[in-house]
Order: sequence, then structure tokens, then C-alpha cells
Amino acid sequence: MRKIKFLALLVLGGLVASCESDFLEPVPSSGITADSYYNDEQELLTGIIGMYDALQGVNDNNLRNNHAIQYEYYLTEMRSDNTRTKSQEGEAAQFEFYTVQATNGIVADYYASFYNVIFRANIILANLDVVSNADTKKAYEGEAKFIRAYAYFNLVRLFGDIPKIDRIIQPLETDIQFTRVATSEIYDFIISDLQTAVSGLDNTYKTRASKAAAQAMLAKVYLTTGGNYAEAQLLCEDIMGQGFELLDNFNDVFYNERNNEIIFAIGYESALASDSQNFSAEWMNGVGRTSGVNYVTNDVITALEASGGDRTQYSYRVDPSQTTQNQVTKYLPNGEDGGDDGKTFVNDATLAGNDWIVLRYADVLLMHVEAIMAGAAETSVASARASFQEVQDRAFPDTAPNTKAIITKDELLLERRVELAFENHRFFDLVRFGKAEQILGDFSAANGLNFTSSALLLPIPQGEINLGKGLMGQNPNY
Amino acid sequence: MKNINYFKKPVSNTFTKVLAIILMTAVWSCDYEYELPEAGSKQDLTPPSANFSATETDDYLTWTFGNQSNSATDYSWDFGDGNTSTDVDGKNTYSGEGKYTITLTASDKLNVKSTFSIEIEVIEPEIPAAINPEILNGDFDGGQDDWKFSDFTGGTTSPFNSSSDGSNFNYDGTDNGSKTPGAKWTNGTSSGIYRSSSSRYAYQAIVVSPNRDYILEYEYAIKNDNDENGGAKIVGEILDGHFGDGADGVASSDAGPIVRNEGTKLEGKGNFTVVRQAFTANATGLVSIFIWGETKQDAYVDNVKVYPAE
Repeated sequence: MRKIKFLALLVLGGLVASCESDFLEPVPSSGITADSYYNDEQELLTGIIGMYDALQGVNDNNLRNNHAIQYEYYLTEMRSDNTRTKSQEGEAAQFEFYTVQATNGIVADYYASFYNVIFRANIILANLDVVSNADTKKAYEGEAKFIRAYAYFNLVRLFGDIPKIDRIIQPLETDIQFTRVATSEIYDFIISDLQTAVSGLDNTYKTRASKAAAQAMLAKVYLTTGGNYAEAQLLCEDIMGQGFELLDNFNDVFYNERNNEIIFAIGYESALASDSQNFSAEWMNGVGRTSGVNYVTNDVITALEASGGDRTQYSYRVDPSQTTQNQVTKYLPNGEDGGDDGKTFVNDATLAGNDWIVLRYADVLLMHVEAIMAGAAETSVASARASFQEVQDRAFPDTAPNTKAIITKDELLLERRVELAFENHRFFDLVRFGKAEQILGDFSAANGLNFTSSALLLPIPQGEINLGKGLMGQNPNY
Repeated sequence: MKNINYFKKPVSNTFTKVLAIILMTAVWSCDYEYELPEAGSKQDLTPPSANFSATETDDYLTWTFGNQSNSATDYSWDFGDGNTSTDVDGKNTYSGEGKYTITLTASDKLNVKSTFSIEIEVIEPEIPAAINPEILNGDFDGGQDDWKFSDFTGGTTSPFNSSSDGSNFNYDGTDNGSKTPGAKWTNGTSSGIYRSSSSRYAYQAIVVSPNRDYILEYEYAIKNDNDENGGAKIVGEILDGHFGDGADGVASSDAGPIVRNEGTKLEGKGNFTVVRQAFTANATGLVSIFIWGETKQDAYVDNVKVYPAE
């Protein structure tokens, strides 16, 4: 009897010991899973590249795919006084008419895209321990935090209060996924991430995160929250000592890629379906899926003709196929002008390789002026005037030096508009300068649009609200 | 009396009965309306909540109010100065400075209301301080430094003679007790009591606040030995713009400076007269100081300043 008891115990013990998880759930040796990947630095690097892949977006017209930065102009430029659709109808036209619906698919695409970017950044941060080299680890952490901060900065400016996902979450953690966190807390999170990025990165890359990119992004965050102008000025001045410069020819900024003016760009390669973009084609007349979007408004043409100088000729053109309309020319597909009708391209225009410029040196110079102005109506500080003049002297070489005794807030806003037209800055600039309600209100009234101040925030996609089962509230007036 | 009573009772009974029926009907119909909801109706879980932001525009008297209310369809604004509106966003121009309470009443089609108020202070923004330009080498301690044109077609870039016979006052207004360095024009560097191609000019480009009032200040002294220097003068001007070539500066001076001061007091060497010439800056704020002498005997200038008028 005692023997049997002993044997039974032995058998039981053996059973318990063999019931470890990898016995019942073995890691497949012939395929890669999320749990088994990221074992060394090389594998984590593929994850880093994956973050940029998410930012690139998928180059197709499948509504299920994330198009990320390739759709950003809909939400920013076309919601400002700079551009509109050519046809003025459909879902895309909701932006220019300020009648965006919570069910708008482009808004949902962008929202999902950038939370996917955040997800991929969180994967890197969760697997940093596999990197043995301390410097590499710091750089990878900085890179992931820069990308995460960049995604949050875009989302918080577009949607207001948003869920804060600071780690990989599981499907059942719906309270984190659908609880909107106050913008101030999101901004604290962004600032903390960018500070880590600034200390961990150097200026090796232009199409990956760099120190200068993190500094410029942080300066813009400070200018947006309005709390730390002095720090923003120091960041800009630090960048100004890192060897960036304005190219002599404004056109080269866009067609001489990764040039000395570029601080951070999303890289694309032409002819590769996996690494190209289609926004260049969409901006032409019926070359992409649409009949033409991001077409230029008369309002910005007036500003460009009056204040653009040499920049004007490189910023827009009359559509050769439809001469009553005007097109953006900063991102012509692969640099081709499309021939006599403006839509005949040698290479496939829908597989364009033009990089998307996120930050460039002219932006930093004008941010420098903005930081010194520090929310006041004007500035006469010499270093601010010097930065402003540097931007103006390229645009107006015949009258250089273009010295100005005083730069007003309105002049700075106008200079940003004509220098950075169609680069997705205008909408954010208007909001940051506190001029959006006034300028967009007047623009809306003059053009029969439906602007109200609540249009300054996009609706949280209805799909998210539904999945949140009551956890998520909608923005006002949607 | 009995008869009357006899008739009264039935009337009273009938009246009571009718009243009761009317009352019951009334009660019954009230019940029907308020206590028997339609099948499938539900409680209003999203009552309106009023909220808005206030933003000052370029004109400090005009404010815009951005509506951020939820679940509302109709809006009523009270701007606190008697003006009202029913637009979605509010915009109001106030008649003057003061504190105003703006109230937004947001309501939905069930006529559920929510109100929200903000107090704003309408106040005229202060005019920013005018630029106080830094005059380089205004006391001439550095000789000719910072007072030369970079080029001078048909003239000379040398502005004046360095001199140790300047004013007794230092640049900050304190008395030095003895003379300080200054600038000197002689018969040779002015070529007589007129302007010619031999004339020398002190020139300095400065930046001031556009359209603001300023004072050009300097001291001068002119010799008049044996009364032979009658009509001599030190001329100080503010020119409209900056000039790379002295010839352009002279042309601008001929065409008309922003302001000109001719100092004609012949008090002799060492006896300085202070000039304070008011002017209003041009629209760009880019002006220049332009000083020369027209004299047969030595004339001196010292302590050149430009500062905002109070």
C-alpha cells in the first residue's frame, strides 16, 4: 500500500513536471512568431525599419490598408485655406467644406495608421534588452521614442484628447485602448519621449530619426504648447550650428533628395510597390485613383504671387489639361512634369519615389523667429531678424539683403505659408498662431464653406467609438 | 326656501357628477401623455453640455467664441454687453475696455438646456517699446571706426579727421573733467562753406522701430577765429534707407532726408552746443545717420545718439 502511494506520487510529479508551456505550446521552428522574434540586435533593426514602413503607408487603394503619411494632406492641407479637391465632391471634399463626418474613411485610415506606428514603436521599446551595445541600445530607444512622439504629436493636434498607449497592450485591455487622455498629459508624454531621443541620437540619417530632427520636433512642441519659448529658441540655435543650410535653388529642396536642407523625411523609392508613394499622382489630373486632389486655392495663389518671390514658380502651376485649375508642383511624380497635358509620365506616376519632407531647415529658421517672438505681436531682436532674412534672401535675391526692422506675427505666419506651402504645415500653423478661427472663418465665409470652430478638431472615427462601447466620447459638434 | 332647496340638490348632484367625469378625463389624459411612454422609447442619456473658448482677434475689441458644446442643436449667446446671437460660433465687438461675462446656453430638441459662462477682460494691448538702436563708436573713441561708407563713387570713404578736441562730456552724460576724443571737419575735409566732391561724410546705418518718434542728438562746436568763418555749419541728417555706396547716400540726402538739422552757432573750439532733433522713422525702420561739416575753420562733433522720444 505504501509502495502504491509512493508510485502514485512519482507518476503525478512526473505529469506536473512535463506540463510546462513549451511542451504543450512549442515554438514553431519553421516559422517566425512575434514571441520568438527579436532575439538580437539585427532582428530588432528589422523592427526599427518596420516603424518607417508604417509611416510610409501602403501604396495602394485598398480601403483596408493603412496609408499613413500618404493621406496626411487630406487632413491638414485640404482642411486649410491652401488646397481642395478638384471635383469638390465625395468623402475627400468633406475636408475642404468643413463637413467631416465621424464615419469618414480617410480620417479612420489616418487614425489607425498612426496608432499602428505607435504599436510598432512600442514593440521596439519592449525588446530593447536584446541589444548588448549600450550606445546602440540608447540610439534604438531614441529612435523608437522619436517616432512614437511624432505620431502622438500629429494625432493630438488633429484629434485633441486621445488614448495614451505607452506599451504593447493586449486585446482585452480595452480601457486603455478607448480611454481618452487629456492633451496636456499627451504633450508631457511627447516631450519626455523627445528629450530621450535628443540625448540618444546623432545626425547619421535623414530618412531615419536624428538628433536634429528630435530637437526640431521638440521645439515645435514647445511652440505649440506655448509654455517654453526660451527652450525652443535654444533648440533651434543648436540646430543652426549643426551644418544645415538653405539650398540656393528652392526647387532643389524637393528634387535633390536628402539634401543639406532636409532634417527629416519619410523615404520612398520609385517603381517599387512596397516602397513608393501615390500622393504625387493623386495631385495630378486624373493620374491616380482620384480625378485630382490637393488642388491649389485662389487664396494661396494670391499670397504666393504677392509674397512668394522665387518660390512661387516652384510651388504651383496651371493644370495643363484644365487651365482653370492649379496644381502643386513641389512633389511632381519622380520629378517628371507630365508633358504637354501634364499627365503623361514615362515612369509609373503612381509608384513615385519622392520623399515626403517632414522637417527642413527653413522651418527651423522660422521657428527660431517664432520662439523669440514668444507669443508677442512682433519682434525686433537682431537674431530673429537675421533668421527671417536668411529665408527671405533666398526668395528675393535681387533685393538682398532684405533687412526688416520689425517682424510681426502676421508677417511670420505669411512667410511660413509661402515658404512651406503644400507641405502640411498651414493648418497647424494657423492653430498654433491662434489665427485659425479668424482666418479660416473669413475664408469659409468668402467661399461658402461651413467652418465652425469645432472643425479645428477632427472627429474620433465612429468605428472606434462603437468598439469602445461607451468608453469613448466624441469631439464637440460631431 | 324649501322649494329652492328641493331644486338645488339635483342640480348640485348633476354638477358634481359632470365635474367628476371631466376631472377623471383630465387626469386620465394626463396619465396617457406622461406615464405611458411609447414602446421602445428610452431615457435621454446625452443631454447637452455647453462649453466654448474665447479668443481675442487682431482688433482687441473683437473676440471670437469657439463653440465646443456636446449633444446640442440650438445655441443662444449672451455676450455680456447686451448683444446676443443664435449662431453656432459667437463673435462680438465690444464698445470699450472692461470685464464681460459671456454665457452660452446650449439646448437640444427636447429643450434640455445647459449653460456655460466665461468672464473675459477686454483691455487695449500695450504698444511694444520702440527699438533703442545701438550707435557704434558714438563717442568717437574709436576714431573713424563704424562711420564709413563701404564704397564711395566719386568721393572718399574717409569720414572725418580723428580729433582729441571733443566734448568734455562722456557718452553717458557724465563730465569727464577734460576733453574727450571727437570728430573734426577742417577746411580741407569740407572744402569751404558748401558741399563738394571733397566733402567728407560720417555715415552709420541703424535700425529703428518703423513709424515711431525718435531723437537724433549730438554736440558740435565751430571755430570762428577773426570772425572769418561766418555761415559755417555742421549738418546732421537722418536718411531714408541704408546705402552701400556714398554716392547713393548723397543722392538720397539731396532728394530729401527724413530730417535735417543745420547747426550754425560759431562758439569757438571747445564750446559745444547740443542738438536734439526729433524725427519720425520711416515705414521700414531702416535709416542712417549722416553728418558733415561746411566750414573754413575746424569744426567738431561728439557724442552722437539716436533714441526713442518719450
